[in-house]
Order: sequence, then C-alpha cells, then structure tokens
Amino acid sequence: MALDYSINYKAENDYQNSVDEAHWQFLIVPEQNSTQQLLSVDFRNSLGLEKSYSINGFGFRTIRLHATKKFGKISFEASFKLIKKDINPFDFDAFPAVEEEYQYIKTLDFQVDFEPFLKTTRFTRLPEAHLPGFQLDQSISLFENLQQLNEWTFKFLNFETGVTDVNTELDEVIRNRKGVCQDFTHLFCALARQNGVPVRYVSGYLHQGNGYFGDSQMHAWAEAFMPSAGWIGFDPTNNLLVNSNYIKVSHGKDYRDCSPLKGVVYSEGANETKYSVEVSAQQQ
Amino acid sequence: MPNIESQIFSSYQRNPLLHDEIFDQEGQVKAIYQKLFNLYGEHSIEDYIQLNNKAKSSFFNQGITFQVYGKKETQEKIFPFDLFPRIIDSQEWETIESGVIQRSRALNLFLSDLYHEKKIIKQGVVPLELISSSANYLHQMLGIDPPGGIYNHISGTDIIKHNDGNWYVLEDNIRCPSGVSYVICNRTALKRALFGVFNHYQTHTVTDYAENLLDLLETVKPHGVDQPNCIVITPGMYNSAFYEHSYLAKTMGVELVEGRDLFVENDFVYMKTIKGPQRVDIIYRRIDDLFLDPLEFREDSTLGVPGLFAAYKKGNVTLANAPGTGVADDKAVYTYMPEIIKYYLGEDPILSNVYTYHCSRPQELKYVLENVDKLVIKPVDEAGGYGISIGNKLTKKEINERKKQVKEDPRKYVAQPIMSLSVHPTYIDENHSFEQRHVDLRTFTILGKDKEFVLKGGLTRVALQKGNLIVNSSQGGGSKDTWVLKNQ
Repeated sequence: MALDYSINYKAENDYQNSVDEAHWQFLIVPEQNSTQQLLSVDFRNSLGLEKSYSINGFGFRTIRLHATKKFGKISFEASFKLIKKDINPFDFDAFPAVEEEYQYIKTLDFQVDFEPFLKTTRFTRLPEAHLPGFQLDQSISLFENLQQLNEWTFKFLNFETGVTDVNTELDEVIRNRKGVCQDFTHLFCALARQNGVPVRYVSGYLHQGNGYFGDSQMHAWAEAFMPSAGWIGFDPTNNLLVNSNYIKVSHGKDYRDCSPLKGVVYSEGANETKYSVEVSAQQQ
Repeated sequence: MPNIESQIFSSYQRNPLLHDEIFDQEGQVKAIYQKLFNLYGEHSIEDYIQLNNKAKSSFFNQGITFQVYGKKETQEKIFPFDLFPRIIDSQEWETIESGVIQRSRALNLFLSDLYHEKKIIKQGVVPLELISSSANYLHQMLGIDPPGGIYNHISGTDIIKHNDGNWYVLEDNIRCPSGVSYVICNRTALKRALFGVFNHYQTHTVTDYAENLLDLLETVKPHGVDQPNCIVITPGMYNSAFYEHSYLAKTMGVELVEGRDLFVENDFVYMKTIKGPQRVDIIYRRIDDLFLDPLEFREDSTLGVPGLFAAYKKGNVTLANAPGTGVADDKAVYTYMPEIIKYYLGEDPILSNVYTYHCSRPQELKYVLENVDKLVIKPVDEAGGYGISIGNKLTKKEINERKKQVKEDPRKYVAQPIMSLSVHPTYIDENHSFEQRHVDLRTFTILGKDKEFVLKGGLTRVALQKGNLIVNSSQGGGSKDTWVLKNQ
C-alpha cells in the first residue's frame, strides 16, 4: 500500500562573528524514482534569500542559497510531500545456481561498470589490523550473504551518538565499536566492496516505527547491487531491508558525496549548526 | 665555411659519450649551427658577460619570477636563461609536431572513453587499476560530454634527444602544464640582447601562442553561445606560475580573475565587473581540480567558485583543461601510451616512449629492486621532479632506502633506464665559460574542435648543475630559446 509522506527539515546556523558572504548547498530533496513521487517542495529561509535549484556532481537535485549581505544567524526550513510505493525487497528472480552470481560479479565488464561503487574511499577504508572480517559464504546466495552482513554490522557496532562525527574514519569506528548510521553504513559498504559487491552510500529519511535508530535526523543506509536483483537497500543500523519507510535523497561513494548541507562561509570564528527532521506518513 | 676558433668556446670540453647537439663526434660544428657559432665567436668573454647580465636584468625588470616550494620557506627566483639558443631543423620538427599531436589526440580519446564506456579497459588493453587506483579519476565526470568533445585542450609533452639521436617522450602533462610564457620571454630576451643573430636564420615565431590558444578555445565554446567570453582563472599571486597566468591573460586579451571575482547563478558563471555581472563562457583554469568548486570538491578551497562544477556539468561553461584529465597523465598511464595510440588511432606511435618498468608487476618489481643503481625511479603521481632518484647518483645507503620505499608501495613507482639526455653548450656564470649541460624540451599542443596547434618552439630546459639530469625549474634548471627553422 502506498504512503503519503510529509517531511519537514529545519536547520539553524549561528555564527560567532558576522558573515559577509556565504553559499549553502542543501542535498535534502527526496529523489524522484520508481518508488517515490515527489509532489511538492517548499523551502524558506529567515533572511529571505532567493533559492535556486541545481545538481551535484552525481546528478542529484540541490538547493542553493547565496547571501551577500552581512548577517549573524540564519535558519532554513523545508517541507516535502511525496507518495511512496511499497517495496518488496524479495521480489526478484534468483539465479538458478548461486555460483553464477559470484562468477558474474568477478567478470571484468562488471567490475568496470561498477568501479565507482567498488572503490575504497577515505571513509570506507578498512584498517588492516584488528578486523574480525567478513567473508562471503559462496554456498548461499549473494542476497543472503548481504543480509548476514547487514546483521553482522548491526551486531558489531553499538549505536551511540556523540562518539563519532562526519570526519571519523573506519579505523576509529572499528576500534570503539560505536557510531551512528553513517558509521554503520560505511562499515557495511567497506566490507561488501572488499568482497567485490558494489555498494553505494545512501542518504535520506526514515519513517520511524518504535525503537529504530535514525530518529529526527537524516538517515543513512546502503544499496548493494546484485546481478539477480539490481540495487537493494540494506539498513545495517537497524538490521532491516529497505522498504517503504525509507525515503531516498541521494547516493554516492560515501558520506562525502551525500552531505546534506555544505557551506562556504566568509567569516572568521566558530559556528554552530542545529538541525532536525520530522517525517510523518498517512496510508493512502 | 672555415671553422673559426671561437674565443668563447676555447675552453669547451666535450664528453664523447654524450650526444652534443652542436658538435659532432669529431668535434666539428654541425652545419645548422655554423653561422650561429661564428656569430657568437665574434664576442669576447667580456662582451658575453655583459650581454648575459643584460638579459638577466631584463627578466628581473619584467618580474618574470617563479617560486620554489618544499624547503623551509618559499623563495622567489628568476628562471635562469641561457643566451645560446637551441636549433631544431624543419624536418626534425615535423616528426616532433606530428608525434605530439598524435599523443594529445590519443589521450583525448582515452579520457573520453574512461569517462564513458571504458572500452579500452573492458577489452583488456589497459588494466582496470589505472582508474580504480587513481586519485585523479573523477567520478563526477562520468557521462559528461565536454564542449567540442575536448578534455586535454592544452598538453605539455616533455621530450628528450637520446644519444642514439632519436627523440623520446618523457611524460605528458595534461593538467595545467606551465612554461609557455618563458618560451615567449626567452625569445624576447634573446632578441633584445642579440638581435643580429636572427637575421641569419629563418625562425618560426613563438609569439602567436596566445592568439592560437584563444582561437582554439573558442572552437569549444558551450552550445548556443555566439561570441564567447573567455577568461583565465589563477589561484593568485602566490602561485609559482602567477607570472604566466597574468602573461597569458594579457596576451590573449582576456581578463585574469581569481575565484572570488566570479559567481554562479542558475548554473551560469558570471564575472563581477564595475558595469555589473558579465557572463563567462570559457575558463582557462590554472587551478587544480579539487580546488575548482568548494561545493563539489574540497570544501575548504577558497580558490574556487561555488557552483562552478554544476554549471560545467550542465554544459554552460567550458573548462580547459577539463576536470579529471589527471587520470591520464599518471606516469603509469604513460607506459601504455603505445597501446593507447594504437587502440584509438590505429597508428604506431611517431615518438617513442622510454621503456618503463611497472613496480606493480612482480617480475618488473624484482628487476627494479635488483637494479636501483641503474634506473631512474619516479613516483607515479608527483609533478615537478619531486621524489625522483637517479640510480648512478645514489649512495649505498640511499639505494637501500629507495628499495624499502618501493617495496612498501610498489604501485606508487615506475622505473626507467637512465636516458642520456643530449647536451647543449650552456654559459656557466661562475666559470665564465661554456660547458655541456643536459637539455630536454617541453612542447605545447592545443586541441580544439577538429583543429590543433603546436607551438613551433618550446621550452628547452637545462639542468644547470653539471651531470644533473633533472631539468625542472623547481630543481634548479634553466632554459634556452628554442628555434624551429622554416623549411628552406
């Protein structure tokens, strides 16, 4: 059954010293795709700056603002309405023999086509030492393996906010075994890529049921490509497969390609950013 | 013509093992240099010292300086200029010119393939690692069709003459090759000091570079633009090549800007002017890829223009060179150039490569580790001559250190036999005499839409330290005016 979504995104930036000029880029608009139909976008800011739409380097829609007059504080508010179709992650035709899929992902053509999502990046680099490791079990299907990896990651890390930030690399995450959704996702991506499975980092919104992580913030999960099934979403933070509770905004190689807010601010001194997200749904 | 015993060459010592470009094996002046040799021979050493000082001060007066990085502080230097020019005859030049065009065209097709179908990798001609382990392969460029289909608008191909008398390519520079302004300034300086010598030779001009650059850039203007507005963007006056940036802008007759002079609105690029915003269509950028746009690449870049990449992606502005060209001037790619040329053009390379060992291949690594003393070892991703070792100049201790470095990260290194670069008589200040010094040649090729241009001349770089083979300006090299003769 399809869901009607209403998403609210709010952010507030406070600058210690006044700012002469600034650029912001928001990567927060839900993607239009086969399971998501975007109905409306509304975006306001406290300075009344004119917004413009553009795209990022991977083609995802961005909202841009450019402030050219002195200010000290700015707040942003966005709301999106969309219809999300049901997703059944099990709805695909498995390869007749499990080995075929493993052979397929080893072919040169496949590795060339999916090179961007097989590549190790700064945030998906596995430290050589102290890693329990995850190996594909070739006696079961690739899909089952990735489900196991999802669960493995979920169990390996403990969800804890405030321990990591956007610059934390896997080395530290693995040492502390603590982190938030982007850390879970980076670890999942790293291990899947190490095993030759293309995965992309996804940023978006999660409609909360009770007890799931990702509340009131933007969420992150992974999409893995399986020759039998195409791109399938895995949420290692919650050990779930992606369904109609997940609203995708963008994807990339890691967090760096998906950061929801980028700013270029001409000012000295510190600044503080706060943001929150509200997602509500109604069944159609 | 009789061989006049020249005063200024009286103490010139010829090492018979080296390929001297003006004297043959018997010590006779080669025909092409005879007139020049006689003309220079009319001067006494004292005259020459005076002329040399005059030329030097002309560089200082024009502010033609560059900066050297690396040691504790950055230093301002002039690029030492040698008054004795190098001559290349028209026939030899024809080979060079067609050779560098061939390479530039092949590299352009290679880049287009790497950012689209990647057939050359799928067909196993070059390994996937060339992109998957390259820091310069920009995924943001995938699927983009740059205006006119050109990626490497400007290529700087470095070539050398080996002691077998043949030209070899040392490397292809297709990020932001610099040095062309020195070519032109060298010509000017030589004309000022010794105008008369030009009357005896029919030499191609080098001052037409800027107009050709502008011409060819205009052939790759964005779609739908009638009269394109071209500008040059520089990281600023502290960049080592700032002089060149300002020189090129001036001679092209276009604005020189820094990132903060531009802004992007609705995916179009504008320049701030006193008459209001002016649209910009073609940007000759002398800023590295990752600094171009803080919203897309390095967020801390203050040199770039927020939003520039989106404008490029939408086809609203031309960037020369295109972002992501660096993947193809990796020294590991260089070793596949013969295959790359053959693959895209169906031709054999006109200019040869220096044989290169890939340390990433176990067999070749083994050879390299056993022969560190006989090889030049280079990191694949450094420019400017940094991190190069020359085997026969290393101490035992250095050899062992080098082995260790290579073993730790083999993919990072390639090795080549020590090529014997040709030598050219060069005036050495402290000895008041001409001596043999090694030289190379940086050529400049411009690709436009269905059109190309090679600067008839180039930057002959001289390794000023005796016996030194590294000619980069940042490593204490000098330069010479380079004459390409017209067909007579």
